[in-house]
Amino acid sequence: MNMRRTVLLLSVFLLGCLLRGQEEITIRIKEGMPMVPVAMPAFQLDPAAQKDDAAATLYETLWKDLEFSRIFKMVPREHYSYIPAFNPGAIRFKDWASIQANILISGQLELSADDRVIFSFKVYEVGSERFIFGRNFGGKKDLVRLIAHRAADEMLKHFGEKPLFTSKIVYVSEAGNDRDIYIMDYDGHRPTRITFSSAMDMLPSWSADNEKILYTSYRNLSPELFMFNIYSGKTELLSSGGSNYAADWSPTADRIVFTSSKHGNAEIYLKDMKTGQEKRLTFNPAIDTSPCWSPNGREIAFTSQRGGTPQIYIMDAEGSNVRRITMEGSYHDSPAWSPDGMRLAFVSRIENRFDIYVYNLKSNEISKLTENAGRNENPSWSPDGRHLVFSSNRSGRYQLYLVDYDGRNVRQITAGGENKMPKWQRAPK
Amino acid sequence: MKKLMLAVVVLSLILMFAACAKKAPQVAPVAPVVEKVDEPVAQVEKPVLSEEELFQQRSLEELNKDQVLKKINFDFDMYTIREDMKPVMQANANWLLKFPSVEVLVEGHCDERGTIEYNIALGEKRAEAAKNYLVSLGLNTAKVKIISYGKSKPLVQGVDEATYFQNRRAEFVITKK
Repeated sequence: MNMRRTVLLLSVFLLGCLLRGQEEITIRIKEGMPMVPVAMPAFQLDPAAQKDDAAATLYETLWKDLEFSRIFKMVPREHYSYIPAFNPGAIRFKDWASIQANILISGQLELSADDRVIFSFKVYEVGSERFIFGRNFGGKKDLVRLIAHRAADEMLKHFGEKPLFTSKIVYVSEAGNDRDIYIMDYDGHRPTRITFSSAMDMLPSWSADNEKILYTSYRNLSPELFMFNIYSGKTELLSSGGSNYAADWSPTADRIVFTSSKHGNAEIYLKDMKTGQEKRLTFNPAIDTSPCWSPNGREIAFTSQRGGTPQIYIMDAEGSNVRRITMEGSYHDSPAWSPDGMRLAFVSRIENRFDIYVYNLKSNEISKLTENAGRNENPSWSPDGRHLVFSSNRSGRYQLYLVDYDGRNVRQITAGGENKMPKWQRAPK
Repeated sequence: MKKLMLAVVVLSLILMFAACAKKAPQVAPVAPVVEKVDEPVAQVEKPVLSEEELFQQRSLEELNKDQVLKKINFDFDMYTIREDMKPVMQANANWLLKFPSVEVLVEGHCDERGTIEYNIALGEKRAEAAKNYLVSLGLNTAKVKIISYGKSKPLVQGVDEATYFQNRRAEFVITKK
C-alpha cells in the first residue's frame, strides 16, 4: 500500500468534495441511508416560561443535537415562514410536507413556581400524518440542557440508533500551572472537575461501565496510574514503580492494558482488575506504548518504535500475532479503534504536520480528517462511531474539537485555558 | 651559684625600685584619658573555599539553581547522547564522583512535537540514556533516579528549531547531598 499516494489522492478528493459540497442538501451516510428531514417549530410556552431563558436554551440544544446527529437534517427555520404558523391542535401536515419535512416535532414547555420545567414533545410522521411517539421530561430548570439531550436521545432510539447526546467526554484542562481532569457533556457544556491535585493529572480514559476514570498523575513524583470512581468519589493507586500511563479498559472484560516502564523500558502490560494479576505483553528494547482495545476485546492496537520510528501495530490480546499497520511515514501514534471495529483513527506526522487519519481495516484505505490547521492530537470516537473528538492548537492554545467520521462539520467545543487529551465515553451497555 | 643568683635578684629589685621612685613624681593627677580602641580590622583575605567547602555550604536549592550539573540536549526523536554533549556529561560525572553522597534525579523532556503518550516514553528513554552514561563513567547506579515529563514542561516557548532543541533535554536535579 502506498500510503502517501493514497493520502494525496484522498486529500484531492476531499478538497473537491468541500468545494462542491457547500450546496448539497442530502448527504448519504456510510450505511447509504439518507438523513431524515426534521422540522421543529418553536415550542408552546406557558406564560412563566415565555420570560425565561430556559425555553430558548432547551430549544437550541435540542436543535443542535439533532443537527449534529448525521441521522437527521433540520429543515431551515426560514422555510417555516412560507406556510401558516404551526398550531399543535390542528396540524396541517400538507404544509409541512411542502417544505420537505418528513418528521415534525411539537414541543411544549411549562415552568412551575419552584423553578422546575416540564417538557413534553410529540413526534409526527408528516407523510402518513400520524403520531409516532411522545415523551415528557421534568426537572430542575438548570438541567434544561440535559432534558434536551435526553429528548434528542429518544429521537435516536426511535430511529434504531444508540443514545449519543447524554454521553460525556473526559479531558484535561489546564489553567496556569494546574492541570486537572474534568468531565463534560459531548457538546462542551457543563464541565465538572474530578481531580484536585496540585501535580499534573493527565491521559484520562473510561472504564467499560463508564463509572470509573483511569488516569496518570505525577502526585507521587513519578507518573503513576490511578482509578477514580465517579459515584463513590474514591481514588485508587493501580501501579507501582516506573512510569505508568495510557491505560485502556477492555470493552468486554474487567481488564486493562497500559504502558509501564517498571522493568526499565516502556512496555505494554495487561492487568486483571479483579485479581490484580499482571501480564507483560511486549518484549523488546524499543518503545511500546498507547495500547487500545478492539471493540470485541480480542485485539490491541498500539504504537511501537521497534522498526526505528513510531508505527501502529496490532497484536492479539495475549501479546502474540503482532502485525504492523502503518507502513510509510515516520511518526504514527494514538491509535483509536472505532466502535464498529472497522476503522483505526491515529495521529501521523507528515512533513512536520500532525494530522488525524482514519485507516479502514477492511479496505486498507486511509483518509485524512484534519487539514492544515495546527497540530491535531488524541482522536477518540463517539459511541456511535459517526464522530470524533480531538485536541488541536489551531486557534493558538490547545482546545477540543468535534469532527464527523468523514472530516465534515468541525466544531470547537471548549474555550479558555488549555484543554486536551479527550476521551469520549463508550456506548452504555 | 646560689649566692650569684641571690645577688642578681637583689640587684634587679634595687633597680626596679629606683626606676619607680624616679618616675612617680612625674605622673600628673589629671583625669584619665580614655582612648577609644577599635577592634583592628582584620586584613586577612576571604579564604578561597575549596569545592568541598562550597558544596557543604550551599543548600540543595542553591546547588540546583547554580546548575552545578549542566543539562544536555538531544536530536529530534532520538535518545542517544550527542558527541558534543559527552564533555558535559563527563563534567557532570566528575562533579558527582567528587561527592558520592549526592543523589540525582535525571528528568527527561521532549519538544512539543509528537504525541503525549509517545513523548512520555521518549523522555524516559532520554533520562535513561543519560543515567546509563553517568553509570558508565563510574557513578553508583543506586544514586541516580529518572523521571519523564514528556512534553509537559517545556523550558522555553517557541516554534522554531532553536526552541525545540532547548526543550529536548535531560536535566539533572540534585535531590540529596
